[in-house]
Amino acid sequence: MSGKVVMVIDDEKIVCDMAKIALRKEGYEVETFVDLVLAVERLKGRSFDLVITDLKMKGIDGMEVLRTIKEKYPATKVIMITAFAHLSAAIEAFRGEVSDFFPKPIKLKELVAAVKRAVGDEA
Amino acid sequence: MKIKTGIVLSGFVNVALIVVIAAFAYHDLNRILTKLAFVEIADDLNTLFLEMRLSEKNYFLSNDPGELADIKERLASAKQVVGSMRGDIVRATGAANYAELVEDIGEYGKTFPEAGQDRPPDADAEARIRSAGKKLREFSETLIRLERKEVHRIIDNSTNGMLLSFWAILLSTVALSPVSSRRILNALKKIETLTKSISQGRFDKIEEHPGNNEIASVIRAVNSMSQELRNREEELLQTKKLASLGILTAGVAHEITNPLNNISMIAQTFEQSYGDLDETMRLEFMKKVENEAERIKNVVINLLDFSKPKQSQRLTADVRELVEHTMALVRNMLDVSAIDTALDLPQGLPPVLVDEHQIHQVLVNLITNAIQAMAPGGRLSVAVRAVSGGAAVEIEVRDTGKGIAPEHLSHVFDPFFSTKGVGGTGLGLSISYGIVKNHHGSIRVESEAGKGTAFTVTLPAITSQNFAEE
Ligand SMILES: Nc1ncnc2c1ncn2[C@@H]1O[C@H](COP(=O)(O)OP(=O)(O)O)[C@@H](O)[C@H]1O
Ligand SMILES: [Mg+2]
Repeated sequence: MSGKVVMVIDDEKIVCDMAKIALRKEGYEVETFVDLVLAVERLKGRSFDLVITDLKMKGIDGMEVLRTIKEKYPATKVIMITAFAHLSAAIEAFRGEVSDFFPKPIKLKELVAAVKRAVGDEA
Repeated sequence: MKIKTGIVLSGFVNVALIVVIAAFAYHDLNRILTKLAFVEIADDLNTLFLEMRLSEKNYFLSNDPGELADIKERLASAKQVVGSMRGDIVRATGAANYAELVEDIGEYGKTFPEAGQDRPPDADAEARIRSAGKKLREFSETLIRLERKEVHRIIDNSTNGMLLSFWAILLSTVALSPVSSRRILNALKKIETLTKSISQGRFDKIEEHPGNNEIASVIRAVNSMSQELRNREEELLQTKKLASLGILTAGVAHEITNPLNNISMIAQTFEQSYGDLDETMRLEFMKKVENEAERIKNVVINLLDFSKPKQSQRLTADVRELVEHTMALVRNMLDVSAIDTALDLPQGLPPVLVDEHQIHQVLVNLITNAIQAMAPGGRLSVAVRAVSGGAAVEIEVRDTGKGIAPEHLSHVFDPFFSTKGVGGTGLGLSISYGIVKNHHGSIRVESEAGKGTAFTVTLPAITSQNFAEE
């Protein structure tokens, strides 16, 4: 058990639930949020090793989360997921800042591998 | 009858009338001149007789034989004149009178040589001479009177004829030409109405004119233009729909990708963590898969709905539902652009009679424009309300975007007016305008540069009164 803490933010509850199951299985402690505001609030109370966030959710910009984390919690890694394939180009620009980027549909195995890579748990 | 033929014909009738009048006038004038010449000669005759009688009187007073010679001379010229006027005198007074005149002149002539025997005529001869002279004088006066009367009669007839022709021409120009000009004016009025409704985006038809004249062909031409415009509009509508479809694609991709991703993730979890899941969870998973499939199905239905070719069909609808349906269609566009929404959709508004797809399209156009005018964080407000005491319903689409420059305000409904360069077709609003007009509604815009814009669509409600008319 790595004991590392991961936050998953996506307004699609199923994404949160499935990611949680997969990551828990790998020994991560997982907190999920469908509400971005609550997630940002939670970041103040606890340090996370990694945040997986959806780029665009209803009415909120995942890009804001990235900016906040990079500013206030530079140690926290970020993995972006998005349903907008056409945003790939835009996200390329953040290559340096995000650890990884996944367009939906997400392959859980790849996501888990990316998490491991990002938090330095690679075998 | 062709109007051209009509005009040519009525012109021809007028010219013919004028020619006839001129011919009559010429003829009458000629007759008058001849008559006057005759009157002149008759006058001469009268003078001759008068002088004869003067000489006669002198002769009786002085017994001068010279007077007798004068009388004879005058009698000779009178005979000549009467001979030359024979035809006219016969015509004017009759053959019997002419014969009597000739006889009287003869008689008068005969009396004198008898009287001229260098002795004063006896009283009996004098009486005969006087009565013969008087008779001649009376005759010439009657002749002149009759001829003068004849001249007056001709002048009167001619005047009446002229007057009659004048009325005839007046009638043909005043009464007949307005008939054809009224026809032209009526047709022009109809065409004007049609043109006006076309310029307002309603492609009506007007009743075809019977017959085969110019008006009928103009109306046919305008009608076929209207029909052509209607077809064009339908084409444009379709083009615009496809364009809107392109704009919607981003939202659609999101909307389909998410449930698809959900299904995929559930399937992966099912496979990879089957052992970790209890029975309830597995069942719950499958139920979620079902739900997500349902989500995809709805998106696809909406999409098909939107791109379905127009088949105008007006049905009773509730504006509130229309707006809600549209909002579902644009939900993801709004999300992508991070636009807040505020809806004011009261229940119980009077129903409207609309083609739902077309009204959706209008609303999608307005909302798309609103989104394009706003930066992330902008607010889109959509409100519906009853106006005109329930006779109409308004749908207001308001944004907090960059607004429309005052000099552009009057052009936004023009086809192809766009400030978006290659990104805009400039058709959205003009098509929306056309659709709303076809629904006998109206669309208006208010905007303040830098503050925002509000488009308001007004549609007639189905009131009990309107309904009775249907
Ligand atoms: N909500 C709005 N806010 C600001 N400008 C608008 C708005 N709606 C329309 N316009 C202006 O009207 C023009 C015409 O709109 P439209 O007919 O939909 O064509 P398009 O969107 O393709 O440019 C736009 O280019 C824009 O300048
Ligand atoms: Mg537009």
